[in-house]
Amino acid sequence: MRGQPNRLAAETAGPFSGSAIDRRQPLQFRLDGRTIAGFVGDTVLSAVLASGIDAVGKRGDSTLALSPRFAPAIIPAALATDTQRALAMERTPAKDGADYVTLAPRKRQVLIDGLRRLASPSTTLGLDLDHPAAMRQPWLTIAGVAETPAQLIVVGGGIAGMAAAVAAANAGLSVLVLEASPRLGGHARLFGTLEGEEAADASFVRLGAAIASAPNVTTLTHAAAFALRPGVVRVHITDVSGPTPTAHVVDMHAPHIVLATGTTERLPLFAGNRLPGAVGVRDAYDLAEHYGVWCGQSAVFATASSAAYRLAMLARDAGIAVPRIIDARPQPQSRFIEYSKAYGMTLAAGTIIAEARRASQGRGLSITPQLAVDGFNRTEPGMKVDRLVVCGGWQPELSLWHMAGGNSQWNAQRQRLEAANGPDGIVLAGNAAGHLGHQACLESGQAAIDALLGRAPRSVSEHGVDPIYETPDAATPIAPIAGAGDSSFLDGGRSCIERPTPTPARRHDWIKGASAPDWSLADGPHALGAPDVAAGVQLREIDPAHAGRVAQQRVPMVTIATAADRAPTAHVSAPLVPDFLTDRYGSDAGLWLIKPHDARWLEAGALIQPNSDVSDPAAAVGVVLRHNKDGCIALLRAGFAQAGQTAAVCEPGRATPVRVLSAYPAEQV
Amino acid sequence: MTHSPVDFLIIGATPLARLLAGLLASTHGKSVLLQGERASGLRLSHDLDLSVGAMTRPESWALLRATAPEATRLISRIGKRAAIARLDPVVFADHPAGQQALGHIRHMAAAHGVAAERTPLNYLGAGRQGVVLRDAVLLRRAALEPALDGWLEQSGVRQLPADASLHIARDGSAEAMLDNKPMTIGQTILADDDAILAHLRDSAWPALLHRQNMSTILTEPTLPLAAPVMCQLDDGVLLHQQAGGGILAQGPGDIAAFSAMLGNLLGEKHTIEHAGQTQSVRLRTSDGAPALGRLHGTGADILAGFGCIGAFLAPAIARWLTGTANAAENAWFGARLINRGTANRSVSDIGAAR
Repeated sequence: MRGQPNRLAAETAGPFSGSAIDRRQPLQFRLDGRTIAGFVGDTVLSAVLASGIDAVGKRGDSTLALSPRFAPAIIPAALATDTQRALAMERTPAKDGADYVTLAPRKRQVLIDGLRRLASPSTTLGLDLDHPAAMRQPWLTIAGVAETPAQLIVVGGGIAGMAAAVAAANAGLSVLVLEASPRLGGHARLFGTLEGEEAADASFVRLGAAIASAPNVTTLTHAAAFALRPGVVRVHITDVSGPTPTAHVVDMHAPHIVLATGTTERLPLFAGNRLPGAVGVRDAYDLAEHYGVWCGQSAVFATASSAAYRLAMLARDAGIAVPRIIDARPQPQSRFIEYSKAYGMTLAAGTIIAEARRASQGRGLSITPQLAVDGFNRTEPGMKVDRLVVCGGWQPELSLWHMAGGNSQWNAQRQRLEAANGPDGIVLAGNAAGHLGHQACLESGQAAIDALLGRAPRSVSEHGVDPIYETPDAATPIAPIAGAGDSSFLDGGRSCIERPTPTPARRHDWIKGASAPDWSLADGPHALGAPDVAAGVQLREIDPAHAGRVAQQRVPMVTIATAADRAPTAHVSAPLVPDFLTDRYGSDAGLWLIKPHDARWLEAGALIQPNSDVSDPAAAVGVVLRHNKDGCIALLRAGFAQAGQTAAVCEPGRATPVRVLSAYPAEQV
Repeated sequence: MTHSPVDFLIIGATPLARLLAGLLASTHGKSVLLQGERASGLRLSHDLDLSVGAMTRPESWALLRATAPEATRLISRIGKRAAIARLDPVVFADHPAGQQALGHIRHMAAAHGVAAERTPLNYLGAGRQGVVLRDAVLLRRAALEPALDGWLEQSGVRQLPADASLHIARDGSAEAMLDNKPMTIGQTILADDDAILAHLRDSAWPALLHRQNMSTILTEPTLPLAAPVMCQLDDGVLLHQQAGGGILAQGPGDIAAFSAMLGNLLGEKHTIEHAGQTQSVRLRTSDGAPALGRLHGTGADILAGFGCIGAFLAPAIARWLTGTANAAENAWFGARLINRGTANRSVSDIGAAR
């Protein structure tokens, strides 16, 4: 497809033809001066990815992939200096003729790079990711306009959020559903359902119809909640109704809040895990399902979760070659696996990715699998693939929960953080609440409303399958530390925390202790998302007993300050004798005017000694308080002070002779 | 089943608490139990440990100047060079009362041999006044605390787990279970705010101590501050810019309120993005001076209100607790007993509870 090398052809894409785009309506817009082709229905991000740009820029020596979780903010070129109007690439619809720029600084192109770009179009946005502001989201620092849109706000428009909205509407509450993406429904279709459960599509249709027919439910898509405190959700809303998308920040007040924020996909840890070409299962599914975007003609899947098999089969149906599925589990069982085998896919069980590097020629990745079973490790022959689709399992998305003061704790069996008790007026539903199955997510929506309304608790049933038939997700795969490969990141999001590596010995390490670090993962100067913390626990960098507290303390919090919070602290004027001087020179010390013999300025706080030979501060007889129109006011010990008395004011490096003039009039105090 | 007598149970996780435990065991030959887990590597630290403070009392400066070198030598021995950093903190103020206090701090510090200089006009911003206190020692907890663990073990200090059975009697003695053995403890010391809040009954709460909501915010790396450690007197805000450029800030109020205050304090040039935050209750005295000893002369010993300097007074506190303090130390501690009246202003200093 001309100008869109990563767009699957409609004729062969099958399930990945792109449900959100209208291929009959092509469009073009500009990003950083580059022309991007797309279709009506694309987001800016999906069009950029379809056009072959798959990298954001460089961080150190590592190139980082562009993805829905790692995309820079953009702004219309005409408003480039007004960063308050910034937009999120993944939430901004592509519009024909639009002209956007990214906000971040760029790496300087050296000559050879410039020549290379002339020969073939660049596949990177070229941002300087070493710059602290590179991935800044300006809306995070904007105070929201206050609104009170409903009695209950549901954050997250997946199946659980939709179920909660319907339950709340049935209970007579006015409801607002906030969904960050352009559409409701979430990712239930990727995960599938168990026998006897309502199909994901059927749930979506049923709940969608109920929401559409409920007069007391409003849905707001393109609305990303990014801060929360009890009773208030701060939202970045992209208004897509006009010819030009605009954005604003709103503080939405409601007494009841349901967080149905789903899960975050864990990133397996190996060198090069964020290189362009490496992508998470859910991102790959979203981009293919909604926009028909898929990079390359072949893909290896590396997973610790059965969900990847479903995507692999869909990819095969869309004409993508899947030479191998690498599964970290030694003996994985799943109906999806059986289907995949029936498709003729090769399964490598008990295997992880040890390393990925950019292919030496052309696009794609060279990957090194490694057999890793029960402590036995063996490096397998390398492979070159267009794309590496990875899945390290699923972490409940708890960022807003932690911001609101909610607690969490480490579940050693599931190797993830799970929510514990939280603040009044806020409840979790669906995957965010730790539920796994489709039916459980549906039921948890109703249960969340019951909890908020103080009704009898409703049990949520997980329809588990015997592990013999459905192997549970494994812990996120962690490869041994590679020698001189690309960086290994703990998560695929904005935190960009690199896996700690042992510091090589240096010349001066014989000075014992001189090179000890001054921070660790748990208290270093970087925010940590729940996936970072989970990775930290697996790496033994964070104590599992403290993981919940670390996650709460290190969430990248945006505070919602009240007017009272923002008001400057009232400071009273300074009393002539501050509290800390009360009784310092006796309870009967008095105020006196003093004058230096010479024309000197006596500084407040300077000690007054009986004479210039005395320097012991404990022997001081008074202290200089301040100046006024009458002279210099001092606090003096009662037995010492009398008119005409001489003394010395001690200042660093000198003693200034002074004379006591008179008592300072009490009425002027 | 045997009863093992223990002289002291120290409850607290700060360097002051841990140094005190080690000193009582190693220097004073006492048997010591410690209940308290180090913060570094586990969670955000609430406090700083600095060898100078925003103080105006001559006797406090004298005690600190006498004890800090001893504490610094000990800490350097335990944690090597990485455990301390030498720097020039700045104390500053925007408002008249704080600016008035600056002069008193500067002259008292200078009188005790600390090079204390006013910052140049407008160096810290329009209308903001500051004093640089030269050559202070800052404890680097991330390096010190693991080393303290080893030192405590070498000193014979035994750790009492946080979930161990513990009963503190009204006379300050205690009974605990350690490794399934009952331990009889002679005297309990509540050595930090969390310990006091956890173990001091409301009915016994001294009028001198006030609870105050405090927040700690760690920022993402941002522009350099005027000094690596800054102390704002007006609201009692502490700023510590770490090696990576992130600022660890502590101040009053809940997180949202303190975040807003921090934004105002640092100005628009510093973009404040949170890398971490936590809220806690800290204790302040009504006269701004430290408080220690036993309520009504009996019960657990309390150590409160020491601010940044507590760790540097640990050797003197250990001597006082074991009855080996010198006259000046005895006088200083004796004047700051927890049961001093709130009307007594004889030791009042900067930093009183508001």
